[in-house]
Amino acid sequence: MTRQEGLAVGLAVLATVGTVVATIWYEHSREAGRNVVELLAIQPKNGNWQPNEIRLERGRPVRLKIRNVETVSHGFALPEFGIGIAEIKPGEVHVVDFTPDRTGVFPFYCTVWCSPEHMAMAGRVIVTESVARAPSDR
Amino acid sequence: MREGYVLGLIPETWRFELTRFPWVRRLLKSRWMPLALILFNVFLFTLILMAGFFGGLVVPGNYNFGIMIVWILWWVLLMTVLVPVLSRFWCTMCPLPFLGEWLQRLRLFDVRYEKGRNPSFGLNKRWPKSLSNMWLMNILFLVTTFASGFFTVRPAATFVLLTAIIALAVALSLIYRARTFCLYVCPVSGFQGLYSNFALTEVRVKDPEICARHKQKGCVVGNERGYGCPWLLLPYAFRRNTYCGMCFECLKTCEYDNMAVNLRPPGVDLLVDEKRGLDEAYKALIMLGIAIVFFATFQGPWGTLKDWANAATLSGYVTFIGLHASWNLIVLPAIFLLFVWLARRAAGQPVPLKKVYVNFSYATVPLGLAAWIAFSLGIILPNGSYLLHVLSDPFAWGWDLFGTAHFPWTPIFTGIMPYLMILTLLVGLLFSLDIAFKIARQTFPEPEAAVRGALPVVGFLGAMTVGLMWLFVG
Repeated sequence: MTRQEGLAVGLAVLATVGTVVATIWYEHSREAGRNVVELLAIQPKNGNWQPNEIRLERGRPVRLKIRNVETVSHGFALPEFGIGIAEIKPGEVHVVDFTPDRTGVFPFYCTVWCSPEHMAMAGRVIVTESVARAPSDR
Repeated sequence: MREGYVLGLIPETWRFELTRFPWVRRLLKSRWMPLALILFNVFLFTLILMAGFFGGLVVPGNYNFGIMIVWILWWVLLMTVLVPVLSRFWCTMCPLPFLGEWLQRLRLFDVRYEKGRNPSFGLNKRWPKSLSNMWLMNILFLVTTFASGFFTVRPAATFVLLTAIIALAVALSLIYRARTFCLYVCPVSGFQGLYSNFALTEVRVKDPEICARHKQKGCVVGNERGYGCPWLLLPYAFRRNTYCGMCFECLKTCEYDNMAVNLRPPGVDLLVDEKRGLDEAYKALIMLGIAIVFFATFQGPWGTLKDWANAATLSGYVTFIGLHASWNLIVLPAIFLLFVWLARRAAGQPVPLKKVYVNFSYATVPLGLAAWIAFSLGIILPNGSYLLHVLSDPFAWGWDLFGTAHFPWTPIFTGIMPYLMILTLLVGLLFSLDIAFKIARQTFPEPEAAVRGALPVVGFLGAMTVGLMWLFVG
C-alpha cells in the first residue's frame, strides 16, 4: 500500500466512521451532566405537548429542547421561571437551559394562537426535591 | 437558420479545450481527481444519512439537513448548473457507488494492474443485453417519483431511498462489471445522460488519427496509470455524452495525452444520430411529463393534488400514482405520437414512423431541461434560506454551529420568479425549435419536406410551452 493509498483510506474512514463518532461525541459533550428533556410542541387536537408533564429535581440543571413538529407556529412560556419563547416556527428547535430553584407544580403554555384549541395547549413542570422521592415513582 | 450553426450563431464544431491549460490537465490526470471530491461527498452523505436516520418521521423537511441538501440544494444544482453546463459532472463525484467501486478495485487511490489488465474483485458478470438501455432507469425513476411527496417531507423516506440505492450499488458491483449500476440502473443516471447531450462540456479525443494508429487502447483495457473505462465505453470513439460518466480515467490512461475536456455550444450531441432509441425517446418524454406533474402538484394551486401525492388518504394516493403513471407512460407519449404522425404525413416521405418518433423526441430535451430549471427556481428561491439553519443545526438537535439556526425564512426574488421561469422556458423552446428543424433535415432528406415535417413538432413544442407557462403564472 502506498502512502497516498493509506491517506485515501484514512480520509474515507474519517469521512464515515469519524463523522458519526464526532457527531455523537459532540452532542454528548453538550449535554454532559444535564438533565435533557425533549418537548414536542403539538396542538391539542393532535395530542398536545409531549410530554405534557415534566418531572425535574430542584437544583439539577435541565436542558429543555422544544421542538415544533407541526406546520403551524407555536410559542412557549414557563412564567414561574421567567422563561418565554415568542415563536417556535414549524420545524424549529429551541434550547432552554435553567436550574429549578424551588419545588412545586408550574404550568407551561403555548403563547401563539396555533389552533381553535390553542387555550388548551398547556402542560406542567413538577419540581421535587428528588425524583426518587416523588410519590408517583415509588 | 444557417446550417451547421447553433441558433444560427455559433458553429456546431466550435470547441475550446479546457485541458490546454497545464494546471487543468495536471488536475484531471491526478488520481486525487475525482477521489477528493468523492471523499468530500462521502462525508456530506454520511451527514445526510444521519440526519435522515435521526430525523425519522418527526422532524419536518424544512429543518432536516438530509432533505434540504438533497432535495433543495443538490437537485437544484444538478438541474441548473451541473447537467446543463458540466454534463455528468455529478457522476464524477457521486458518493453512491463509492463503496462498490472500492470493493471491486480493492484500492481507493492506487491502480491495480496485473498481467495486462486491471483485476476486479467480484463475479464481474456482463449485464444482460436486453437491459443494456434506459428502460430500467425510466421505470425506476418514474417509480421513485411516486414517493416524491414523502421524500421532501419525511427524513426517514430520504434515508430509506439513499440507503437502498447504496445497497443496490454495492450488490450490483459485486455481481456485475465496473459501473454497471451507474450505466443501467441508477434512477438519476438516465436523465443526466440524456440531458448531458445538451451540456456545454464534453470529454473527447483530440486527434482520432492517433487513436486509429494506437493498438494498445489503455483507455479501454486500463494500464498502470489508470483503469479501463469504468463505464464500459470506448473513449476514443465518443460522439455524445449520454453514457460518459466523466471519471477522467481515459485522460489518465491515454499514453499520447490525446483525450481532452472541451467547452462547446449547447445541444450539439442531440444531433448525433448514433444509438438513438425508443428508450431514450421515452426518457425525454417522461422527464418532460414528470416536470409538468411536479409543477402542478407541488407548486401549483391545486391542494387536492398535493394531498394525493402526500398520501393524505390511500385512495387519493392511488389516484395520484394512477394519473402520474398514465400521463407519463401513455398520454404524453401518445400525444407526441399524434404530432409525429402528422409530421411524417406533412413531410410525405417514406420514413418509418418509429424513426421519426425517436428522432424528434430529442428536440424535446432543451424544453424539458428548461422546464426542470424553471421548477428548480420555484424550489430554491422560496426555500433556499432554510439551508442556513440546517447548516447550523443539521440534526435538529438545537445546535447553532454558525449562528444561523434561527435565521428567518427569507424567500428571495419570488416577485419576479414567474418571469424568470417564463424566460427560462422560452430559451429552452428556442433551442428545441433549432434542434427540431435540424432533426427534420436529418430525418427527411428533401429540404422542403423537412420544413413541412418540422411544423407539427413545432406545434407540439409550442403547445407544451404555453401549457407550462399557464402553470407557472396561472
